[in-house]
Amino acid sequence: MNRCTRVAALIVGTMLFGGQIRAEPAQEGYSAAALYNLANSFARAGRPGMAVLNYERAGLLAPNDPDIEANLRLVRESTHQPVRSRNWFERIATMASPEATAWLGIIGILTAGASLLTGVLSVRFRWLRRMGTVAGIGLVGLNVCNAVVLWPTLHAGVIISAQADVRVSPVPMGDSLFVLPEAETVMIKAEHEGFVLIETRTGRTGWVSRASLASVVSR
Amino acid sequence: MARIIFNPWLIAVIGIYFAMDTGALADAPLVYATIEPAQITLGESAVYTLTNMGDSTDNVALPAVSGLRFEIVGRRRQIEFINGITVPSSATIIRVTPQVAGIFTIPGVTPKSQPLVLQVNTTPSSANAPRASGGVTPYRAPILSGATMPKGIRLTEDGSAFMRLEVPKRELYVGERVPIDIQLGMRSGFVQHLDGLPRFTGDDFTLNLTNSPDRSEESLDGQPFVLLTWHSEITVVKPGSFSFSAEMPITVRIRTRSRRDSILDDQFGDPFLQNIFGATVPKDINVTSPPAELKVLALPTEGRPPDFHGAIGTFSIESDVSPATADAGDPLTLRMRVTGSGNFDRVDSLMLEHIDQWKTYPPKSSFRPSDPTSHKGEKIFEQPLIALRPGVQTLPALTFTYFDPNTRRYETARTPPLSVKISPSLADATAVTDGKVASTVADPYGGALRPDHAIGQTMMESLTPLYLQKRFLAVPSLLAILFAGGWFAARLRKAPNRKTKKSDRAATRAAKRALTGMEAAARNGDVGSFFELALSAVREVLAVKWQLAPDQVTTAEVLNRTGQEGQELTQLFALADESKYSGHKQGKTDFGRWMRVVREQLLARNAA
Repeated sequence: MNRCTRVAALIVGTMLFGGQIRAEPAQEGYSAAALYNLANSFARAGRPGMAVLNYERAGLLAPNDPDIEANLRLVRESTHQPVRSRNWFERIATMASPEATAWLGIIGILTAGASLLTGVLSVRFRWLRRMGTVAGIGLVGLNVCNAVVLWPTLHAGVIISAQADVRVSPVPMGDSLFVLPEAETVMIKAEHEGFVLIETRTGRTGWVSRASLASVVSR
Repeated sequence: MARIIFNPWLIAVIGIYFAMDTGALADAPLVYATIEPAQITLGESAVYTLTNMGDSTDNVALPAVSGLRFEIVGRRRQIEFINGITVPSSATIIRVTPQVAGIFTIPGVTPKSQPLVLQVNTTPSSANAPRASGGVTPYRAPILSGATMPKGIRLTEDGSAFMRLEVPKRELYVGERVPIDIQLGMRSGFVQHLDGLPRFTGDDFTLNLTNSPDRSEESLDGQPFVLLTWHSEITVVKPGSFSFSAEMPITVRIRTRSRRDSILDDQFGDPFLQNIFGATVPKDINVTSPPAELKVLALPTEGRPPDFHGAIGTFSIESDVSPATADAGDPLTLRMRVTGSGNFDRVDSLMLEHIDQWKTYPPKSSFRPSDPTSHKGEKIFEQPLIALRPGVQTLPALTFTYFDPNTRRYETARTPPLSVKISPSLADATAVTDGKVASTVADPYGGALRPDHAIGQTMMESLTPLYLQKRFLAVPSLLAILFAGGWFAARLRKAPNRKTKKSDRAATRAAKRALTGMEAAARNGDVGSFFELALSAVREVLAVKWQLAPDQVTTAEVLNRTGQEGQELTQLFALADESKYSGHKQGKTDFGRWMRVVREQLLARNAA
């Protein structure tokens, strides 16, 4: 077995390993449709906090689902929360689901790597190799852009209680700075003994009781 | 004070006392103290009067009793005529203000005098009860010490207290809980303090008293008694006949005078007169109740239901379910309430198990007692249920089996079946259309919410994107490492050829520079420079070709390597040496020839 054959076997083995990870059945997992339906149930029950939370979670799995986006917008508007439309960059970066993006990134690495490697070994098909390199880098870039767009949502939390006191320190008797309404989405910065350091969309920070806040992605 | 002086009994007693012992009266002043009233409410004050029947004008020492505050509010002098004898007396009026509730004993003013008792109540209701005036007491019928009073009460030897045991029934079953009352009666002014809690005599029963006793007052045979009642219950674990009584240690004050004199004291029956006519000393005694007989029966084995768990008493049950309507798959709560009296700690139920079209969960119970001993109350069982199918579902009747000691047989209480309307669930009530389903549940957004989705089989293990999961990150990382390693390996493999090419390019550039210089020298007719540059270029070319250093390329080396083919080169080397050392000049044609020779050598090298 020559060197090229060994490298090819290693690449194939790596791909099979990745496929095995994907193929493992998720006994108790998440489904975009189930989360969306759950969010609808909470919305109908008059619990906008839990509704927004589950819409956000559903949006992570299916970022281009128009129903999720529309209902999230509706619930946010009903609670007087600001509604922000996605810009062109976010739409392009999330044109595929995170899972599909992950596999496209893998394909990109394979394409770019193979193109660069054959460029060293041979001078033939120069244009084809260059196109392969560009396409591979583009797919990896799409994966990176998807991560950049979803990063804030992955570190976001939603106020699920009727209102949440934001305190100056992570203790129950800490002075209250301001109050956040239900369904407000904040960024989670840190956690400490039942309290979460949050930052609002206006840049205000403070500590909120863990019971009043739910992370979009459980930690 | 006037009441004391003109009380006919007091005057009579003092007169008799003087008639019997006038010498003693003359020898030593009679000092006595009274307190009025002897029973007050916290916040009120009593008047403590210290009377000195004599000429002495000694300063009065205020008594010191923890919890009482004494203040002198006045003094007065007077002369009393008793049986024609003039008796001067002085009285000090002292206000006594209690700080806390309780029964206080004020020490006697002389070593022989009796202490006074002041009872301070906390509530006005108890203070409104008939007061045992410490100063002047109405006539009381005598109490015969150790005698049995009405209601089956047996006093202690000194007549100061009694103990009573109230058992509602004399025949009970094994495991049955029976409430009992243990009552301690204390005659006002006789009991100094309690030394412990009531307990049962013998080992057949144990008494666990967790509650503080109820306090009341009662007049028994014309005498005021303070009653303390403890509520408890007993359970017997083996059949048989048992006798038990309750006892309690207390400290009482007993008389030191003769029995005959004590009868006289009983005529007056209060500490005030005892102060005058005799002394008391504290004594620890056990006050014991008359024994109670119990007959304990074993539970009948015949007709014992299999679901009997040991509940004995009188019970009734009822059930409900909430909510009365629900969707299939939504949880409901089935409740069973067991009310009555008995051993609620043995009241248990498994509620419903394994019902068709229902999913059942283990029930939980809670108990709310309605009396201090938890003998009566309500036990609630709550069981979560989930209806699996829509429609009007019927929950079967609940049953509870217990033994009723009144009817002496096992009883089974039943609840009526319950009907529950189960609506179709979202999944059942909607039809999938184009991958979407329409919800039947109204929403507060006026239908603006987009409909639910059909749930597919695809499930994600985590909400975290795949490319951020550690296990998946191993794949692109490994691929990147593999390609990077392959790329570097390929580069290293091609490295020697690249080095040769680099040196070739350098030699070519040097040859070009040499040809350019030779052309310039030929145009100028500079033979020395021409041949020097030609020799240098040829040496560079041949050194690369032969893998030698340029200075090693000599005429002999050229002849050795090229033979006859290198004749022109050897001539070039010879002419170069000649022009360098002898200054030989050549014509123009010679420049052209040697330019050609050098160029051929360069071209031959490039072709190689």
